[in-house]
Amino acid sequence: MSIIQSFPLVIILVLLITAFMMPLIKNTKIIKGISLVSMTSVMILALINLDFVHKNGEYLYRIGHFNAPYGIEFRIGIIEAMMGLLFTFVALMIIWYSIYSIEKEIKQSKIGLYYLLVNILIGSLLGVVYSNDLFNCFVFIEVGTLASCGTIIVKDKKENIKATLKYLIMSCLGSGLVLMGIAYLYSMTGHLNINYIHAELVKCYLIYPNAVLISIVLFIIGLGVKSAMFPLHNWLPDAHSSAPSSSSAILSSLVLKAFVLLLIKILYGVFGMDILNHFSVLNIVLILGSLGMIMGSVFAIFQKNIKRVIAYSTVAQMGYIFLGIGLGTNLGVSIAIFHIIGHAVTKSALFLLAGAMIEQTGHKSLAQLKGIGREMPLTLGLFSIGALSMIGIPVLPGFISKWHLSLASIAAGDTILIVVILLSSLLNAVYYSPIVINGFFGEENLQGKVYKSKSKPLKELMPVIFLVISMIYVGIASRGIINLISLGLM
Amino acid sequence: MDNIIIILPIIFPFILAILMATIKFNEVKRNIFVSIGVILNLIFLITIFYMFGEISIHLIKLNEFLDIYLKIDKLSIMFSLLVAILWIFTTFYAMEYMKHEGKEKRFFTFFLATLGVTIGIAFAGNLITLYAFYEFLTLTTFPLVIHTDSKEALKSGKKYLIYSFIGATFVLLGMILLFSITKDITFNAHGILPALTKENRSLYLLSYVSMFLGFGVKAAIVPFHSWLPAAMVAPTPVSALLHAVAVVKSGIFAIIRMSYFIFGAKIIKELHVNIFLSILIVISILLGSFLALHQENLKKRLAYSTISQLGYVLLGVVLLNEDAFVGSLLHLINHALIKIVLFFCVGAIMYTTGKTDISQIRGIGKQMPITMGCFGIAAISLIGIPPTNGFVSKWYLAQGGLTSGEMIFPAILLFSALLTALYLLPVITEAFFKKGEHTIVKEAPMKMLIPIVMITIIVVLLGLFPNILITFIQQIASEVI
Amino acid sequence: MEGLMNNYYETGSIILFGIGFAILLLHNNLIKKIIGMNIMDTAVFLFFIAKGYVSGKDAPIIIGAHKGVQGYINPVPSALMLTGIVVAVSTTAFALALTVRIYEGYGSIELDEIIKMRSD
Repeated sequence: MSIIQSFPLVIILVLLITAFMMPLIKNTKIIKGISLVSMTSVMILALINLDFVHKNGEYLYRIGHFNAPYGIEFRIGIIEAMMGLLFTFVALMIIWYSIYSIEKEIKQSKIGLYYLLVNILIGSLLGVVYSNDLFNCFVFIEVGTLASCGTIIVKDKKENIKATLKYLIMSCLGSGLVLMGIAYLYSMTGHLNINYIHAELVKCYLIYPNAVLISIVLFIIGLGVKSAMFPLHNWLPDAHSSAPSSSSAILSSLVLKAFVLLLIKILYGVFGMDILNHFSVLNIVLILGSLGMIMGSVFAIFQKNIKRVIAYSTVAQMGYIFLGIGLGTNLGVSIAIFHIIGHAVTKSALFLLAGAMIEQTGHKSLAQLKGIGREMPLTLGLFSIGALSMIGIPVLPGFISKWHLSLASIAAGDTILIVVILLSSLLNAVYYSPIVINGFFGEENLQGKVYKSKSKPLKELMPVIFLVISMIYVGIASRGIINLISLGLM
Repeated sequence: MDNIIIILPIIFPFILAILMATIKFNEVKRNIFVSIGVILNLIFLITIFYMFGEISIHLIKLNEFLDIYLKIDKLSIMFSLLVAILWIFTTFYAMEYMKHEGKEKRFFTFFLATLGVTIGIAFAGNLITLYAFYEFLTLTTFPLVIHTDSKEALKSGKKYLIYSFIGATFVLLGMILLFSITKDITFNAHGILPALTKENRSLYLLSYVSMFLGFGVKAAIVPFHSWLPAAMVAPTPVSALLHAVAVVKSGIFAIIRMSYFIFGAKIIKELHVNIFLSILIVISILLGSFLALHQENLKKRLAYSTISQLGYVLLGVVLLNEDAFVGSLLHLINHALIKIVLFFCVGAIMYTTGKTDISQIRGIGKQMPITMGCFGIAAISLIGIPPTNGFVSKWYLAQGGLTSGEMIFPAILLFSALLTALYLLPVITEAFFKKGEHTIVKEAPMKMLIPIVMITIIVVLLGLFPNILITFIQQIASEVI
Repeated sequence: MEGLMNNYYETGSIILFGIGFAILLLHNNLIKKIIGMNIMDTAVFLFFIAKGYVSGKDAPIIIGAHKGVQGYINPVPSALMLTGIVVAVSTTAFALALTVRIYEGYGSIELDEIIKMRSD
């Protein structure tokens, strides 16, 4: 039992403890410092943990030395370790960015509260990812929901309140369904630990086919609501567009991903391939994912507010992940997880840059953001790189996900899906290109704009530059990453 | 890693483009910088060809498919030399022309970048590299198309982007289907695919048609041609570049690579798809010429003429015999030269007089004799009258049509030649044989005139002494068919 | 049918769940939505706790001698549901606080009226 094995627990504890220290301190500078330091240290811990798991293989960690199934257990495999690193890295970049911009969006007195909520949120998301016990996951889900609602409402505008309420109600709906699903599973198997449930379920699913089917559907719908599966995504555009930019970034890139990762763990860890194929429920996920891919982009085309465009784009991208899950093959799931990684870094960069543009110009609508390329060239340039990844230019992670998803569709026998995937990426081009083109080109757009007049200083854009560089790195190192994921799925 | 030298002609223009964008140049320094740059690039190309011959290099292997592979073979040599030489002429022409258009810095930045991308397309050794550089080509030529930044330019630019991305999506569809059959998409002279069987027939068919149409968007096949006349809103050096060298010929180059070096002539014959595609191409040839007759604007007339002429080249590709292939490659080169001359002349008229329509150029032949004279020679070449190079390529194409057994193809070639005469000769008659206004117009400036004259001389020379070129192309053809 | 009648706790909880779900989705009034959410959560608690019941056994409190594992009902679901109840309470509190703020901002707690007042 090396000390490194307890790092995941340490990470969550550090985040929660530092979170509760924050309301006690009045000086905002110190609060920001603590937040940065805590996130950096947990990122380093996650990195060491990933390295350890890579060398030594996955392990189970008992909390409090109570053995499963009576005690709670963390299962740290390669995928969980990678997700830990991803979440802490992206969160670190977002917090770094927010240090400069948060004053402009929320009141001074609420800043301590904000960083508390962010730490709790990241801690709970990591808990969802690491935990091997279903009820423990449920508790972390609830904590995460409340914390994420908090990060939206901390900005005190009317639209925020409405958006938060919608989000809260839909989330509680989802949680209720998930809890019911857990109840069904407990009543059938008497366990709450994922490995034990799987062992029991394999023996008895033929005896209670209806109950197993109902519990699968409950989990899919419950977690689908929380991770914006079409058509349960209604809460997302309001919530992500009205929140402060760093909250939108965290919500879009991390929160949705933790829940969809839990869905993957439940579908493939608790139920397993045999049961899923017996009931053919994955087809629902497949169809809803394809619909989400197309409809998300179609809705995005009609939006006038830049943050809403990016929010609907998130709905479309989550559709890709559901498509990967719904294919029902190892390759499909690997690509879904790869897309989680790629999308997390890309979307956070896009939201932060959109936030910078809104903050400097005071305008939210696309019509008023024309010509911004001359005023903020670096910002829009980075945005274009992110947009190119969404459109699917080779070398960037968006293209790699699309290509592999198409190959996985052919391998699974659903060749028609290639058309859906390619159509969706074409639609992406339709709404991202005008933002970039109207920003950089067009005489009437550029009239009266002074070069670099509204640019943010370089040090404030550094976190976004890091995110973009890591996005390009994910694209280039894709083969290694996908191999690692496949290894973890064995 | 010795073969790393192969990336030099691709990277060097990119470095120049970056320098162009970041360093402040005054006009003289900029002109010297760009001209030395493109000339050096040509020298690099020739040196590599002489010293190293046909080398290749796996640049980056990211994945089993994402493998950037550069390879020089005879076809690449032909295309890249054509590109590099014509780029030099265009540079000198543009140095003068862009004085009237402004924003030279942006223009030359993307001008240089496009050169790098086009040579990348020439050197692509497998389908994924070709696709990657193809997408980059759209991105680097877009700012050139919307150079004037007017509302109309933005609209045409949007159309260009939409068509290009839809084409790229079709190509991607074909590539993915292909990849599911064979993991290796490197170009090889006789095609790399396993033999045609009943099971994979529909897959091959779908993949081929999809990629043909996808690349065909850039090669302006009907019905994907309308971006080309719309793109005439760009300044003339851009139109000359797009229509003679970079974009449309890249599309055709990609189709040739895809047809002969991935599928192979044998499989295409067995698929019988060339019959259907040839119908589409014949429509392009005829429709292009018909629509050209109705255009008042000189540049639009030349644009529709291009659509028609590209049909000739593609016809030679799908006829699948050696004569036709030789004719097609010859016409690729010849049309590039001819069309550049025609566009440069029209641009010279626009530069000196500001006139754009055929009705406005009465009597201009008397005042700009050299310009219009070169236009005349190029027009004669396009119609296909000896002793110009257009005649040689049309001859081979007609031979190829005869060999294929269908009499209809040479007949169409003849009919289209008639139409070509019908839409080009009026320009010459208006210029030379009508009385014009008496305002004094000067001949075009030297920097514009010299490239026009030099290329016209090449046009005539290639008509009189075509053998060097023909022998080289016949070597390529024999490897392939 | 017989199965439903025998397991009346579970049947009742599912009916309650459906009622709570319907209230949550269909009613306009925000307070009613919150009540519906509570009913739904309570239904799940009922289901879970009922699962822990073993007929004929005692509550898990040791009075006098320890009867061994066989003598008591399963205490785990009750313990789990305590956590669940806490979560439901905190969510309800949060939702109610939000409702108060909405009332201050929009002057109404009927959802259709609030959606109409999207402006500003």
